[in-house]
Amino acid sequence: MSSHNESILREPLITGKDITYRRITDEVLRPVENKANKAWWIGFIVSALGACLWVFAVSYTFWNGIGAWGLNKTVGWAWDITGFVWWVGIGHAGTLISAVLLLFRQNWRNSINRSAEAMTIFAVICAATYVVSHMGRPWLAYWPLPLPNQFGSLWVNFNSPLVWDVFAISTYFTVSLVFWYVGLLPDIASIRDRATGTTRRIYSILSFGWTGSVKSWQRFETVCLILAGIATPLVLSVHTIVSMDFATSLIPGWHTTIFPPYFVAGAIFSGFAMVQTLLLVTRKVLGLENYITMFHIESMNKIIVLTGSIVGVAYLSEFFIAWYSGVEYEQYTFISRFIGPYWWAGCMMYGCNVLMPQLLWFKKIRTNIAISWCLSIVVNIGMWFERFVIIVNSLHRDYLPSSWAMFYPTWIDISVFIGSIGLFFTLFLLFIRVLPSVAMAEVRLLVKTSSEQAKKKLIEEGKVKKEEADYYVDSLSAYDSVEQADYVKL
Amino acid sequence: MESTKKYWKGLEEVNNTPEFAEHSKNEFAEPIPVEELLEGSGLNSVAPRRDFLKAMGFGLGAVSLAACNVAPVQKSIPYLIKPEEVTPGIPNYYSSSYKGGSILVKTREGRPIKIEGNPSCLINQGGLNGQAQAAVLDLYDISKLKGPLKGGAEYSWDDVDTYVKRQLSKVQASGKVIALVSSTVNSPSTKAVIAEFSSQYPATKQVTVDAVSYSGIIKANEANFGKAVLPQYRFDKASVIVSFGADFLGTWISPTQFTKQYVSNRSMASLNQKKMSRHIQFETGLSMTGTNADSRIAIKPSEEGAAILSLYAELTGTAVNGASLSNNNPASAAIKLTAKELLAAKGSALVISGSNSIATQSVVNAINSFLGSYGTTIDLDNPSYQFAGKDEDLTMLLADMKAGRVGAVLFLDANPVYNHPSAKDFAEALKKVDLTVSFADRADETASLCNVIAPNHNFLEAWGDENAIEGYYTLVQPTINPIYNTRQAELSLLVWANYPNQDYYAFVRSNWEKSVLGLTGKKWDDVLQAGFVALPAKAAGTYSFNGAIDANEVLKQGKALAKDIELHIYESVAVGSGAQANNPLLQEMPDPVSKVTWDNYAAINPKFAESLGIRQFDIVTVKTDKYSVDLPVIHQPGQAQGTVSVAVGYGRTKAGKVGDGVGQNVYPFITYNQGTANFVSTVTVSNTGRRDELALTQTHQTIEGRNIIREATFAEYKKDPAHGSGNNDEKHPTYDLWGKYDQPGHNWVMAIDLNACTGCGACIVACNTENNVPVVGKDEVRRRREMHWIRIDRYYTFQEDGKNLTEEHEIVDMQGSMENVSVVHQPMMCQHCEHAPCETVCPVLATVHSNEGLNHMAYNRCVGTRYCANNCPYKVRRFNWFNYWNDSRFDNYLNNEFTQLVLNPDVTTRSRGVMEKCSMCIQRIQAGKLEAKMDKRVLADGDVKVACQQTCPANAIVFGDANDPNSEVSKALKNERTYYVLEELNVQPGVGYMTKITNTGSQEA
Repeated sequence: MSSHNESILREPLITGKDITYRRITDEVLRPVENKANKAWWIGFIVSALGACLWVFAVSYTFWNGIGAWGLNKTVGWAWDITGFVWWVGIGHAGTLISAVLLLFRQNWRNSINRSAEAMTIFAVICAATYVVSHMGRPWLAYWPLPLPNQFGSLWVNFNSPLVWDVFAISTYFTVSLVFWYVGLLPDIASIRDRATGTTRRIYSILSFGWTGSVKSWQRFETVCLILAGIATPLVLSVHTIVSMDFATSLIPGWHTTIFPPYFVAGAIFSGFAMVQTLLLVTRKVLGLENYITMFHIESMNKIIVLTGSIVGVAYLSEFFIAWYSGVEYEQYTFISRFIGPYWWAGCMMYGCNVLMPQLLWFKKIRTNIAISWCLSIVVNIGMWFERFVIIVNSLHRDYLPSSWAMFYPTWIDISVFIGSIGLFFTLFLLFIRVLPSVAMAEVRLLVKTSSEQAKKKLIEEGKVKKEEADYYVDSLSAYDSVEQADYVKL
Repeated sequence: MESTKKYWKGLEEVNNTPEFAEHSKNEFAEPIPVEELLEGSGLNSVAPRRDFLKAMGFGLGAVSLAACNVAPVQKSIPYLIKPEEVTPGIPNYYSSSYKGGSILVKTREGRPIKIEGNPSCLINQGGLNGQAQAAVLDLYDISKLKGPLKGGAEYSWDDVDTYVKRQLSKVQASGKVIALVSSTVNSPSTKAVIAEFSSQYPATKQVTVDAVSYSGIIKANEANFGKAVLPQYRFDKASVIVSFGADFLGTWISPTQFTKQYVSNRSMASLNQKKMSRHIQFETGLSMTGTNADSRIAIKPSEEGAAILSLYAELTGTAVNGASLSNNNPASAAIKLTAKELLAAKGSALVISGSNSIATQSVVNAINSFLGSYGTTIDLDNPSYQFAGKDEDLTMLLADMKAGRVGAVLFLDANPVYNHPSAKDFAEALKKVDLTVSFADRADETASLCNVIAPNHNFLEAWGDENAIEGYYTLVQPTINPIYNTRQAELSLLVWANYPNQDYYAFVRSNWEKSVLGLTGKKWDDVLQAGFVALPAKAAGTYSFNGAIDANEVLKQGKALAKDIELHIYESVAVGSGAQANNPLLQEMPDPVSKVTWDNYAAINPKFAESLGIRQFDIVTVKTDKYSVDLPVIHQPGQAQGTVSVAVGYGRTKAGKVGDGVGQNVYPFITYNQGTANFVSTVTVSNTGRRDELALTQTHQTIEGRNIIREATFAEYKKDPAHGSGNNDEKHPTYDLWGKYDQPGHNWVMAIDLNACTGCGACIVACNTENNVPVVGKDEVRRRREMHWIRIDRYYTFQEDGKNLTEEHEIVDMQGSMENVSVVHQPMMCQHCEHAPCETVCPVLATVHSNEGLNHMAYNRCVGTRYCANNCPYKVRRFNWFNYWNDSRFDNYLNNEFTQLVLNPDVTTRSRGVMEKCSMCIQRIQAGKLEAKMDKRVLADGDVKVACQQTCPANAIVFGDANDPNSEVSKALKNERTYYVLEELNVQPGVGYMTKITNTGSQEA
């Protein structure tokens, strides 16, 4: 990127004094190159216990049958597909950040894209485990794949949204993985260059022989752009297809044409909430405050309130259409979200997804780390309930009242879900120990132009107008990583 | 060519150098470094790559060869000498008899696997209820005894015989009584055997007692008409039927027969002729019959006598003292209306009562006599022999036993220690008897207290005969060799009586040749094939009431009940008297009204329960001063206020692995009046504070105002047959995404007459046995996971202030008594939609459409995503949550090697993780098509009958080919009343339903 001076009106993307390329590398690689601290170990042990619970619960299900879950003749999907859609949705923020924001040259993504992409991959892994484990006969999980086979002329059903799902999720996982790994190459090479012994050999293999030549960088940038181009439609398509599992069926509450955009917005909403949840902790624990700044936090909060409001509008349209359609089954389903036996789930859904994020209209709240973190958790809970309401509330009281039934989760249902969270965090915590959690190469690009120190130098050199400088200094007041005293004297 | 021509490989060979000679001894030119390789040094050698590849190649080859091991082979042994009549894969049918009705037993390779009604049977006319359908499973009951027991130890028959004979002679010599306690015996041969036995042991006294007794009717008929019999009722000849608590469609006397008769005046055929009977029911608990009534009035047991008396008074115009229903105004008004309608229908009216009180039945007799029912709707000249028990006989026997006057008791199909009200006394008194013998097939409550158990054959292993109604004789023939070391009870009696011919088959045959065959001139073999002999019925004479009405006695019995909470004891449609309590198919068959499985319960009106502070599923103590049980409560709409209803047949302690500990025994609550057992009492009900969730198959009770049930009154129907069906409305235009496929062959569809269906549930059991549907047990039903392919949806509509309430919030706000409730039963199974929503969503094409209009399920292809079940608007798909056929948790039901012999080999059992559903008995369709093909003819309408249709006592289900315009089903579907459930979804279901018609009688006119 060019080394011209960025407008002083823009907030810095990196804070801190004496930031050098070397310091960025030192700070980002601290968890990779040093022994883990206590906080990491505690987190890892808890997560690993969760992952063990997951292994146990899924093995128990495989051994005994899906009957170990609370499902019944009326409610054939519940926590399983709720968990699946929730995890797939969470993954969406990573792709949006890495691909869409790259194409739109949003440089602030440079600090957060790595973790967000890793999160995507781990979330899709968690989702994929549900795809297999919810099957009655998981050992035949390859049958929904259009593989050449010896079953005669047997082929998959291309009419079935579940087959589309298989394509969507596998494409998504592959592209995300490639994109993530390509982005990692220069950073792995940095680790390699600083390491010795076996570590060096391992990272040497992992870096695919990255030389750092101009040609390498040029190709690297081109590949990133191409992959971003490929990944961008996936941001829209994956959750569109997931939503079609429901939209193409005829169950009231599922049979809804608004589902594709509604699900995509919801996915980005929940994905950013998850990024927020993870990064607010990571930046504190790994001491990355200078690279993940208040600007990032606030930007993500803005996206959360935007997508949350889109979701809110989608909710309203659903209710309007249910009323306007005049279909009594549809109307009953939507009213039952408030007055049916699952009214509490409906309240969680609307409260957590629509009402609570509205607090983010206030700058004070957007820039308050504790509240932001809590709200991100609230959104994640709300989005889980959204899927639960869509799936269980719609199924449990559909057309014929004789079949109406309640769903009660068993401890296995709960263990599989909690376990999948454990699995996710286990993978994430391993990731931050072995790979740089911030894209060093991309952050280094920002030092000369968008860093606090570069901008401060401009002010000190008097190269900017007074009122613009004041505006800039004013905007820094919310930053927890900026030494506010430095600006008092300016 | 010269064959000796030699080719040499090189000069060395021609010259035969010493080196060559040396090398030629070795197979390989160079030594293979196997040793070296194995010792490890080979791996470090300079060029290990080739060796490595060799080792790899060998290893891979060896492993591949080892993996070629075939799966373990299970050998099936073919017939060494094939029996002439058995062709593997082709079923044989044998006629036999069950509870007096002629049946056909389907056997495959020597195993009975299904019982079907004999279409020419005079009683059941091809229909069978759930209990008869389930009876085949009793043969394969793992809880049965494997041989005779004496003092709890296994004995040989010879030893048993010696012992029993010695004991019997001793008793005979001592002058004490030998009592033969049995339930009703109507078998001519058994009677002859008992006569033989009695002639050998003159001290023999036969005591006949039925668990659920009808001796009140028999006694009343004896007193009023001089005929101590159960008459035959003719519901088909009745245009107005008034029943006081008689569940004649569910359990009363001969329910299958009565259903056939009853429905003949209410089904499509009758409605097409604009004819429909009117049925008024006065009762306490909501019985299955009550749910079918046109008008139903809730009365307490204490009011029943007064109600019948006031009907009598109203009809005859005579004043009967105290016969008023002052506390029950709706009932009092209804009685007046009923009287009017009965008078208008004189000669075709029928009044019955479920009471076992002699005094009450006498009043009923007087009413029927006044209405001219004898000779028309009641036939005393061709009586029924289905029940002949006399309650007081056992009471007398008990007294004799206590007094030590009884030396031996033999129990034949009787279990008084379980089902007698004074069971405890009986068990005590039994200890004073020297010789006690039971013929039970298991060590049941009574048998386990006996010295000797001489296990009887199952009826499918036995010869025998029955005479259930006058002039109608049926033969029981064995369809399998005795499985265990059991012996026909009659043969045991003959052996003990030192009868010379010890072959019961010969005995039955000679008995028939002496009597029945002589009367008809038919040959034994022909009768055996036909299954029965029907002598021409006698003309039903008219009888006039010749006795006195003891109004005081009737009212006294009522008054005695009118305190505390009145207990109404009834027989459940599924489990009946409890004799078949160990049958898992029956335990899992939902009660037609409450939809409860695997339990009995205290049914209490929701409003009354509210006033007592009792919630649904609270466990209450139902208590008299002598006996008490703890039962979970169900809120039962339609139940009379101030009453509680509980079913007998539960609470078995020694029925077997399935039936033990299911529910509570309420036989001890039965009270006695004038020597007959009355199924009423007064109790106190108190909440224990504990709770127990009952296993219900349906948890939402009303239609929520949806148009899935369509109804009309008879008056509306007469004006416009399509009334209420929606067929008069303009249909919305529909659009299809899919192209239409040709259906050149058949198009299998079904028509269900909601006005014929009584909700009895026989179809559920028939489907279970035909299609190997697993039994899953109480816990799984509680999780709403029963596997039934066909279910009967039962919907309540509450009437309040002239409005019909079906929506949840309206019902919550209801002020009234919740006694006025009308009920519709809707059989529901896979609708085989032409545009099946399940088919499009299956990722692996496991469920697809056939060109015969069927929705197929390829179990082997199913991966179990359950998407199809979610997308089914009828929720008829059933998922195998566990491996029901190989999981020790389900061993007690069908999952054990012995019981699995009942499985239909034409239908695969489904493994875990697979979806299943109604296939429209595709195996029967295939068999029918094959048979037609072999006969080189076109498949005719009616050649293929699906299991539910075949057993339906109400003929409510018609199955057939819609491509044949003359088929019965095509005609039925063209009926004005026909509608399709959820047709607005345009899934194009293949099952049509006909509107429910209610004959509101004069209420409307």
